[in-house]
Amino acid sequence: MPDVAEVLLLGLALDDFKPFILTGLALGAVYALSATGIVVLYQATGVLNLAFGAVGALGALVSWELLNSTDVPHWVAYLACVLVGGAVTLAYGLVFGSVFAARDQLVKAIGTLGLALVLLGTMYWIWPAGTFARSLIMGTTNWGYQVDFLNARVNGTQIIAFCFAVAVTVLTALFLRFTKLGTAMRAMANDREITATLGVPVRRVEAAAWLGSGLVCGASGLLLANLVGLDAGTLTFLVISALAAALIARLRSLWVTLVAGIGIGLAEALATPIFEISRYRTMAPFVLAIAALLIFQRQRVVPVARATR
Amino acid sequence: MSSKKVKAGIALVASSLAALLVSAVVTGAGGATAPVGSGKQSATKSVCGLGTGQKARGTPIKVGGLVTFEPGTDFQDIAKAAAAYFACVNDNGGIRGRPIQYKYYTTPINPVTAAAQARKLVASDKVIAIVGNTEILDCTVNHKYYRANGYYVIGSGIAPECYNGAPTMAQVNMGPAYSATGAAQALVRAGAKSLVCDTSNQGDPTGYVNLGCMAVGRQAGIPVVNSHHDVPVTDANSHALELVTRAGQDGGIVLTYIPPEALKILQGAQQQGLIDRVKWGCATPCNTDFVAAALGAPWNGKLYVNAELALLDSKGPDMTLYRAVLKKYAGKTAIGSFSQMGYTEALIATAAMLNVKGAITKQKVNRAIRDVKNFKTDILCKPWYFGVAPYHNPNNTDKTVVPLNGKMVQKEGCFDIFAYTPQLRNIRQWEKQRKLNTGSPPYPRQG
Repeated sequence: MPDVAEVLLLGLALDDFKPFILTGLALGAVYALSATGIVVLYQATGVLNLAFGAVGALGALVSWELLNSTDVPHWVAYLACVLVGGAVTLAYGLVFGSVFAARDQLVKAIGTLGLALVLLGTMYWIWPAGTFARSLIMGTTNWGYQVDFLNARVNGTQIIAFCFAVAVTVLTALFLRFTKLGTAMRAMANDREITATLGVPVRRVEAAAWLGSGLVCGASGLLLANLVGLDAGTLTFLVISALAAALIARLRSLWVTLVAGIGIGLAEALATPIFEISRYRTMAPFVLAIAALLIFQRQRVVPVARATR
Repeated sequence: MSSKKVKAGIALVASSLAALLVSAVVTGAGGATAPVGSGKQSATKSVCGLGTGQKARGTPIKVGGLVTFEPGTDFQDIAKAAAAYFACVNDNGGIRGRPIQYKYYTTPINPVTAAAQARKLVASDKVIAIVGNTEILDCTVNHKYYRANGYYVIGSGIAPECYNGAPTMAQVNMGPAYSATGAAQALVRAGAKSLVCDTSNQGDPTGYVNLGCMAVGRQAGIPVVNSHHDVPVTDANSHALELVTRAGQDGGIVLTYIPPEALKILQGAQQQGLIDRVKWGCATPCNTDFVAAALGAPWNGKLYVNAELALLDSKGPDMTLYRAVLKKYAGKTAIGSFSQMGYTEALIATAAMLNVKGAITKQKVNRAIRDVKNFKTDILCKPWYFGVAPYHNPNNTDKTVVPLNGKMVQKEGCFDIFAYTPQLRNIRQWEKQRKLNTGSPPYPRQG
């Protein structure tokens, strides 16, 4: 008879889930990283960037092109991925940021959806999907070691993804808390007009937010191209998982964003060995985001109801 | 300046010009090579259609096709390769001076669109023949319509109806179910102790792709798992890990995906250090050099890929011309099983059209396609045929290839696919009775 303590769910033992913890942590960390970029940009500019995945995909494809068509060193190609992310996002912010500044948030978000579709079309045009497969595998991906107690192998890219996500979250939180620029960003999150009246160069602060968010976007694209695969469509729509993490954090707390992103990655991965729900595991971001929204909605409604009483 | 000097100057210029002219002519003549696909068809040389090297300039003959195209499922290479061969035929005399005007439509996996596009080909475009169809729902949705309108369609099949219920549709491939069956047979021969048969939800709406793979496992008396996943694959590492966990130590995994998706899963397996935990197999789409190149040395000899068609670097006459035609007319189309299929379909259709006596009409062309038998090509293991039957599966014998240093190389020669359906058993019986693929007499290629 099996040890009762080891039987967790639907007859599966703890050992059945262990190998999936590492993949879940790594993928979740990149969701969290992307979500951090989304939250910071939203706080500073009020723009929910739906083009986050598409921009990352573009950076990754540029990186692939450099590696396959030129003799540039690998690190230059990887750096290009990050810089393309920063440049495209900054360019969009500079051109459309001020145009949409006074519009409501839905219009701002739809603007970025337009960017996503333009980029997706451009990528399919330059790098047709077809039956030709591209892959962008960093050297770190081929390096790794066996984690015996989890019965799985962890590779360098997974470690980098996790550490980088945590580091970016910590540094961003410190940046927003302790630097002048960070304070200005937080002020703009509260009220752009008043912040401008106080003499803060809002255009410059917004540009910094677009650039920073874009660099994170490029880095996410590079990591996801390694962990998931180099495919414009797939990377573009992975923004959904990051958005779910950002929504769970109510587009405010970076720490909750980090936990939510990792939680989504883990939920997806840990659903994998459960045969009955495995094929539906891509629903995890939606389910968790909807659950979180319902809970928050309830928390907001209840005090109002109490106040009314 | 003296008149002598002027004359000398003129002579110098004139002689230089003459020398240039002569050298241009010589270079041109010497450098000219015969157009791709021109010449005389023989046992050692394949040509495009009539091989005249002359452009066809008559009234175009309209030929059409349908292929699936949506993220994660893209069969356009098949139609592009067919178009490339037809273009080569047009540059080599066409169908007795008439060029083939090939047009193909793409559709998402949607029965309404599949039906609408078929009607567009037939009713609006009024095509003479339908060639190169590789649409996931085409056989299911459109076979009765094609039959009612007198079309004998040469395509690449996916749905079960392509092989067990479409009397007027014959495929050059054996489809994902039989191809996965072949890959499963190879894994069992290699000693797999279980079989996980994995394919995409989108590519298998009728749930039949894994049936042959599972039948092979059951016959071998080993555990089998029927597995489906969504494409595009968004978490390749977990996907690979899940498959390996299900297969167990020394189990076997058969993947039936288009190359980019299969590659993601295989690379996920590599990242997780799972290559040697199980035996990996793949249906025919993986038989593509870029998959072998992307996988690299760690996969040398470790992925058993079912190959429904010839090795990609095969030196046979049709394969040699296939690579040349693709290079000239469809440079961006990958050398691989998909483009081999489209090319072969166009090859057979062209031969059938060249065998039409008198005026080229829809009725005559389709009758000619129906009557094709013993069509020998080095792209297939056995001669191809159409014929009159309630269903068709003329390509039911294939090979196994494995990646080796960035190339696919042969692991096993032609073998019969396990006949797990009564249809395939009947087909093999008809082949013998009617001498459909004995190769004798060979089908005339040039009319």
